[in-house]
Amino acid sequence: MPLLKIDDREIEVAAGTTVLDAALANDIEIPHYCYHPVLEIVGSCRMCMVEIEGMPKLQVSCNTRIGNALPDRKVDGMYDMVVSTKSDIVKRARENTLEFLLLNHPLDCPVCDQAGECFLQDYSFRYGRAHSRFEDEKRVRPAEDLGAGVVINQNRCIMCTRCVRFTREISGTGELFVQQRGNSTKISILEDKPLDNLLAGNVTDICPVGALLSKDYIHRNRIWNLDRQPSVCQECSVGCNVDIYHKNGKVFRTSARENLDVNGYFICDTGRYSYHDYEAVERVTSPMIRKDKKWQKISWDGAFKEIFEKLGRKKEGDSNNVAGIFSPFHTSEANFMFARLMQNVFKERAVIGTLPLPKEEEKKFPGGFRISGDCSPNWRGLTEVSSYIYEDIFNELKKQKIKLMYALDDGVNRELTQEWKDLLRNLDFLVVQTYAMTPLAERAHLLLPGAAPLEREGTLMNDSGRIQWLRPVIPLKGSSRPDWKIVMEVMNTVGKRELDYSHVNEVLAEMNERIPAYEGVTFFKLGESGMSINEEARES
Amino acid sequence: MATIVKSYEPTFWDRLYIPALVKGLMVTIRHIFKKKVTIQYPDEKHIPPEGYRGLHRLNKFDDGRIKCVACEMCAAACPSHCIHIVPDASPWEEGKERYPVRFDIDLLRCIYCGFCEMACPEEAIELTEIYDFADYTRESFLIDKDGLLEVYEMTKDENFYLREKENAA
Repeated sequence: MPLLKIDDREIEVAAGTTVLDAALANDIEIPHYCYHPVLEIVGSCRMCMVEIEGMPKLQVSCNTRIGNALPDRKVDGMYDMVVSTKSDIVKRARENTLEFLLLNHPLDCPVCDQAGECFLQDYSFRYGRAHSRFEDEKRVRPAEDLGAGVVINQNRCIMCTRCVRFTREISGTGELFVQQRGNSTKISILEDKPLDNLLAGNVTDICPVGALLSKDYIHRNRIWNLDRQPSVCQECSVGCNVDIYHKNGKVFRTSARENLDVNGYFICDTGRYSYHDYEAVERVTSPMIRKDKKWQKISWDGAFKEIFEKLGRKKEGDSNNVAGIFSPFHTSEANFMFARLMQNVFKERAVIGTLPLPKEEEKKFPGGFRISGDCSPNWRGLTEVSSYIYEDIFNELKKQKIKLMYALDDGVNRELTQEWKDLLRNLDFLVVQTYAMTPLAERAHLLLPGAAPLEREGTLMNDSGRIQWLRPVIPLKGSSRPDWKIVMEVMNTVGKRELDYSHVNEVLAEMNERIPAYEGVTFFKLGESGMSINEEARES
Repeated sequence: MATIVKSYEPTFWDRLYIPALVKGLMVTIRHIFKKKVTIQYPDEKHIPPEGYRGLHRLNKFDDGRIKCVACEMCAAACPSHCIHIVPDASPWEEGKERYPVRFDIDLLRCIYCGFCEMACPEEAIELTEIYDFADYTRESFLIDKDGLLEVYEMTKDENFYLREKENAA
């Protein structure tokens, strides 16, 4: 393998690696704009210039590959390449490049939403000169709407063409292109073909400056005011890693978090803007009981007592069985506790299953990005914690003439079929644990307020068997409680148990012992990137 | 290391006390004939010098638009976290595309250090010479955008207290 010397460090790299890749992998900073790990290399920004011994001029490190030198051509008799990233000539080259990039830049950081995470700011501060020598009028061009909630501020663009390459290589739609040349160069769309794909929002993430902006976030807050919470997208079974930026219990934006085992560097727009859907629902924030067709608030103790009276006592007759509806939208912890409730408390009286699940067509993009057809984030985890489960419980309910039901609600606003409506109407007692007033919740006799998607804590397992840590972003609303806690309380009341888990990691510890797939899983080990159950199996 | 302090041994001249008495009285007598420093506040107002850091104001352009672009640099620089801004896209066609929908300052938290006016890239927020804004409730010390623009109207032309004095005369 070629031996590379960068500054004072010796690094052995595989032949064919670029200098920039080798440097970044070893925590040596080389400033760059146009380079992106998954996009084609163009070497157009000229920011990553380095000095290489034996080459007459500076080279762009993103497009210079390291190979094996002939024995008599090795530097000092041992190095295949000697790179300097800190010499005076490199510093001068960076200064000059930045000065050129900033020639027409409006320097409107006070109104720019990229300020705070802008690479022009960072690199100017670290490598640039303090003032510009450009004396003429700056080029001023109007902002344009590119479609799909993306606007471009042409003045701030530095023509790195990351966005153009993204639409060509990752989304495969190719809406963006470079129009004109020289001083008039700009990123553009055809008039009749605006940006229109499910990955369009990513161009705002990969833009290193404030040129491409999401209309959703524009002028809404400053990035340094917001808290970043690493989280997992709950819109489909891929489980993309996301960062959720929030402040005072309000979410301001979602952006992709890098995880090469799951989503790479991107997320889809459905997940990006999903927090609006969670905000828009009508929340259930306190336990409510239906009396004379009206909702009446009751205390938690009152609610548990009601469940005990209706579900806990065995009555004469054939309608004694309790249907337990699981939800693949909930965390594995909530479903695990629910499985324990059904299997250990109701025992032979339990009939368990799920409601019909929303299914869509799976979408695949040329860059390898996938949007699953299964809209639930945790179907795989649900099947792990509860082995015998009816995917669509309808026929079983009809056959057994079930009169009692306890449901974990998906929280998805979907229309129930007429058959389901009839079945739900004929129930004697329906408990729904939910955060939103869904069609199912509207038909309940008792409502237990659970946590909303962004309030939940626990683990989710995506469809490739990767367990990921879902962290709470915003605090619980009203008197709602975490779902696993509600189920635990029901177990205590109905089953006369004395479970007392105070935190979700105690539930996870219990799962370690009972569920094979969850053996040895702790939140600490899951960290930000999660762990695959397949890896686990390989290790042991 | 301990320091040895020698006590002062008063001389005979000192022990008379009368020379010292006269010396002290001379200072008093000298000041009787000088210009008076005391101001009859609140009948008469102190006029602060240029650069005094009092009540805040938000500046406007000549056409009435607010200069502030809600960049929140002042809020970031503020050591007492007393500035709260809600930004949005501006309603006007010309000029900056961003403006503050709300701009609240908690005057009780503020320590009047002037970091906000130093941080402001648009020269929008400034501290004025107004110092007497005492009130009876805490709520009245929460000044909003309209209040800050009003302070601008009050102080834009000349020193607030000078004008008050002229008006009184």
